[in-house]
Amino acid sequence: MEISQKSIEYLTAVEKQAEEILTDKNEIIGLDQRRNDTRMGLRHLQKEKPKGKVWMASGPVLIKLSADKAETILKKDQVNTDAEINKIRSDLKVKVNRLRDLEYQSPVPGLTLQPMSGAEMSAINQVLGGHS
Amino acid sequence: MAGISNAQVHEVREITRIERIGAHSHIRGLGLDDSLEPRKISQGMVGQLQARRAAGVVLGIIREGKIAGRAVLLAGQPGTGKTAIAMGMSQALGTEAPFVCMAGSEIYSLEMSKTEALTQAIRKSIGVRIKEETEIIEGEVVEVQVDRPATGVGVKIGKLTLKTTEMETIYDLGNKMIESLMKEKVQAGDVITIDKATGKISRLGRSFTRARDYDATGPQTRFVQCPEGELQKRKEVVHTVSLHEIDVINSRTHGFLALFSGDTGEIKSEVRDQINAKVSEWREEGKAEIVPGVLFIDEVHMLDIECFSFLNRALEDEMAPVVITATNRGITRIRGTSYSSPHGIPLDLLDRMIIIPTIPYTEQELKEILKIRCQEEDCEISDDALIILTRIASETSLRYAIQLITTASLVSRRRKSTEVSTEDIKRVYYLFLDEHRSTQFLKDYQDEYLYDQGANGQVTETPEMEVCQ
Repeated sequence: MEISQKSIEYLTAVEKQAEEILTDKNEIIGLDQRRNDTRMGLRHLQKEKPKGKVWMASGPVLIKLSADKAETILKKDQVNTDAEINKIRSDLKVKVNRLRDLEYQSPVPGLTLQPMSGAEMSAINQVLGGHS
Repeated sequence: MAGISNAQVHEVREITRIERIGAHSHIRGLGLDDSLEPRKISQGMVGQLQARRAAGVVLGIIREGKIAGRAVLLAGQPGTGKTAIAMGMSQALGTEAPFVCMAGSEIYSLEMSKTEALTQAIRKSIGVRIKEETEIIEGEVVEVQVDRPATGVGVKIGKLTLKTTEMETIYDLGNKMIESLMKEKVQAGDVITIDKATGKISRLGRSFTRARDYDATGPQTRFVQCPEGELQKRKEVVHTVSLHEIDVINSRTHGFLALFSGDTGEIKSEVRDQINAKVSEWREEGKAEIVPGVLFIDEVHMLDIECFSFLNRALEDEMAPVVITATNRGITRIRGTSYSSPHGIPLDLLDRMIIIPTIPYTEQELKEILKIRCQEEDCEISDDALIILTRIASETSLRYAIQLITTASLVSRRRKSTEVSTEDIKRVYYLFLDEHRSTQFLKDYQDEYLYDQGANGQVTETPEMEVCQ
């Protein structure tokens, strides 16, 4: 019985970690949706330049507020979503490696590396023979 | 974001390995189980259990990165599977760690000094792992809408609607983006990616859902799935480049002509120093990791004393790869000196090496190897013929017997048979001489050959030519 208890605990840990990763991925999709919606709204505001008040949906509630104010809210929202997405993405890496650790796999090589800069990459692409 | 969770983040550099049917093309790995015990016949390896196990242990240490700066020597008679073991190690090491294979005599070139050739080989076998990160927008085009000014010329503006399986959005486009959309001939139903940093648009193909839009499509039309998830993705690709490749980029400073010249010749030591400094800077910034690989030098007795002492020093370097060498010589003269030494390798270098001996195959093992080779060369062979072939292998050499497989299968195909029979083996055995019979033939008819030195072997040994640079 003791062994099965152990394996249940192990499986729970693995499943929990995997579930977290899947939730995060969905979260990113939701946030990206929001980012795109805000971007479209912002663009619309800038193009139409409405005078006076506009309607804005904040969740289930429709609010009527001045165009300037709506713009600042949207801009702030955009910055927030960007930051949120970046945070989830970097957390995801840690979580993925933790899951792999639980599954007795070695961590994804190079996952935690800092990315190369564009100039460095274009030089290296010369030897990789790839695009750009 | 690339699908990190399914661990596909690291996309290994796409290398299409075109392998012809070479002498060791049947080898897929070392044939060890998880506890490093060798299986009798596995992954193309037969017998040689001790040596394979030893190689497996060495491989384990390499993977843990503990053995860098050490050397391994595979020693054994000709045809006992030294190269096979080295190939097996390279296969088992995976595609990521660099594995450079060279023959000892390759370093003697007129264009390059010996030490330069060795340095290049060493630097080719040290990998640097780096990451490329790009923000891309990936989606299926729902609609492209371009507003042209009434005059026909002037600034165009437009809208692009993209979707994934989860969402849909509209982008307002400026003149430049519209031009590049036009240039790529993007239309509704295409799956495209837009690089956020450069604005480069690339078409991946057409969406499957649009496959029935037209009755006739061009043969080049590639159908892809509508992308999943978010529109704006971060794509992370991990590359492993060798130090030598980075050297090459920096030694080519003179325009694009140098790009195509292929042969880079010698690389200045200043360039190497700069690269070393740059790489260690990257390591400190967390931008790069060193992946020590394996340098395999076959026929290592062909190196001379200068190379050996160079190797001795090069192994001390902190970024040295694991050097695996192989030789079939016994106690012989070290090239470039008049001293004899075991395996033709100076004692001080030999002292640093882990020596793995290989032993001659038994008859049963020979049979298995020949069987594997027959499969590799797509050649059906009858049991009797295989037994005869095994006898030939044990009496002459394994290599000779393997060569007979190809020729015998050609002969059998000529008589429109699907199977190699004993007759075919006999036929090619008489057609092609092995080394013993060839020697015998020469002895018998030596009078008729030119420049013969007599039968009693009074051949004055020609002094070995020293290779000068």
